[in-house]
Amino acid sequence: MSLPGALWTLFVTAVLVFLLLPLALVVLFSFNQAALTSLPISGLTLDWYATLFANRSFLPALRNSLIVGAAVGLLSVLFGTLAALGLVRLRPGRAAALIDLLSAPMMMPALVIAIALLVFFVRFLGARMGLPTVILGQLVVIQPFVIAILYARLSAFDWRLVDGARDLGAGPLRAFLDVTLPIIRPSLIGAGLIALSLSLDDFVITFFMIGSGNTLPTLVWGLVRTSLDPTINAVATLLLVLSIGSTIVALRLGRHRF
Amino acid sequence: MRPGALLVPALAVFAGLFALPAGALFVVSFWSVRARMMRPDLTLSNYAETFADYGGLLLYTLAMAGLVALLTTLVAFGFAFAARFRAGRRADLLIYLALVTLFGGYLVKIYAWKSILGRDGILNGALLGLWLVEAPVDALIYSPGAVIVTLCYFLLPFAILPIYGALRAIPENHLAAARDLGAGPFRAVRDVVLPRAERGVAVAFTLSFLIAAGDYVTPRFVGGGASLMGHFIETKFTVGFDWPLGAAMAFTLMLSALAVCVAMRLAYRRAVRP
Repeated sequence: MSLPGALWTLFVTAVLVFLLLPLALVVLFSFNQAALTSLPISGLTLDWYATLFANRSFLPALRNSLIVGAAVGLLSVLFGTLAALGLVRLRPGRAAALIDLLSAPMMMPALVIAIALLVFFVRFLGARMGLPTVILGQLVVIQPFVIAILYARLSAFDWRLVDGARDLGAGPLRAFLDVTLPIIRPSLIGAGLIALSLSLDDFVITFFMIGSGNTLPTLVWGLVRTSLDPTINAVATLLLVLSIGSTIVALRLGRHRF
Repeated sequence: MRPGALLVPALAVFAGLFALPAGALFVVSFWSVRARMMRPDLTLSNYAETFADYGGLLLYTLAMAGLVALLTTLVAFGFAFAARFRAGRRADLLIYLALVTLFGGYLVKIYAWKSILGRDGILNGALLGLWLVEAPVDALIYSPGAVIVTLCYFLLPFAILPIYGALRAIPENHLAAARDLGAGPFRAVRDVVLPRAERGVAVAFTLSFLIAAGDYVTPRFVGGGASLMGHFIETKFTVGFDWPLGAAMAFTLMLSALAVCVAMRLAYRRAVRP
């Protein structure tokens, strides 16, 4: 077609190397004996992980990250499921327009969302900053991802199954719990895990919303600003394993389409 | 239950945590600061100050974001096109890998490029090792180039997915049919693929442009700090405590960025019109 096959292969390979190599290097250097991030590596060690677990800020940060991630995952799946169930009942044009509207927070730079929430919470509501404000701030950005995933899944749903249950005398709630829910459960868990990995990864909104304390990304921020020790590679690898791990599980559970 | 009722929680989150806060930020952008205290006011001085003090920076930021968005969208289109029309059964694997890197971590990705491009970094190590340079090259990091590469790297997976989604709706045989009817390879892509990819390309470009325009972490890590508008907006809120000015700067940046995106979309539509 437009380019010979070899050139296409070269291009795709180059893009894949560009996407994957930097992350692979971070993982590699987290096991490197020398403190410098340069090749060749001088030997394998788990020292940096030991240093990380000995860091007094690490476990509280991990705990906070998991609390926020679980809360954002649960809330976004709950609201996202309800929204997707509502959207599939609308005409496709109206549903698409509503999805565009609800997706606006996802398109904005996190900095703009964060300062708007800061002004609103602090100046207009007089709220205390902490984990609850972090959860709310992340929810508005992550919710659109979950809605898009679940709307795509429910658009392909065979509603005759639910009609059948209703014809046999099941109420709407009963039909949902016995028919719809078991069928879409893998997609719900998948969407929740994707919300979890987006939450674990969020730095900017968390930084403005947390007041005091740390999550893993704000801990990384502090480490990068104050030092260049390879502990950063260890905590970065841990973040990678957590977020990519849950993404891979999510992808295995359902065929997600963005 | 009525569809409207099911949408209430999601719309409440949108209204209470996005629309209202954005409105609050807009209101504050007209306030004034006296003796380090914000006072409700109705002044345009924050916008005047934005244009007077940060006008050049605004243009530079838009130019950088435009370059990043253009590069990202082009590479993403090429990758998505290859996955859709050239990769056959390997398409799923390619998109899977792109999706996995989407969640690879924002700070982790920036940090990775810092350790690749830094003075003691991998690239300098390689250049020294190959005797291509005699001393480490400082200009690899803390340069506009480093900011562009790092932002493209972060945004690429986000741009691939919407374009791939749009390309999937185009049947493969339509491209073949255009070729059979005598269209050259580029003509076939222009007439068959580009018009129907508009939505995906627009989402990819807008997302890349807005996020690049408002980023402040990448410039600080690999660009030597005070290089883009986001840095100055952030400091108005974290150390400067001049929230009204920061709010005015944020609105100016976002509105001009949106205007660029709308103009680009119109230009695209005009360019691919049959």
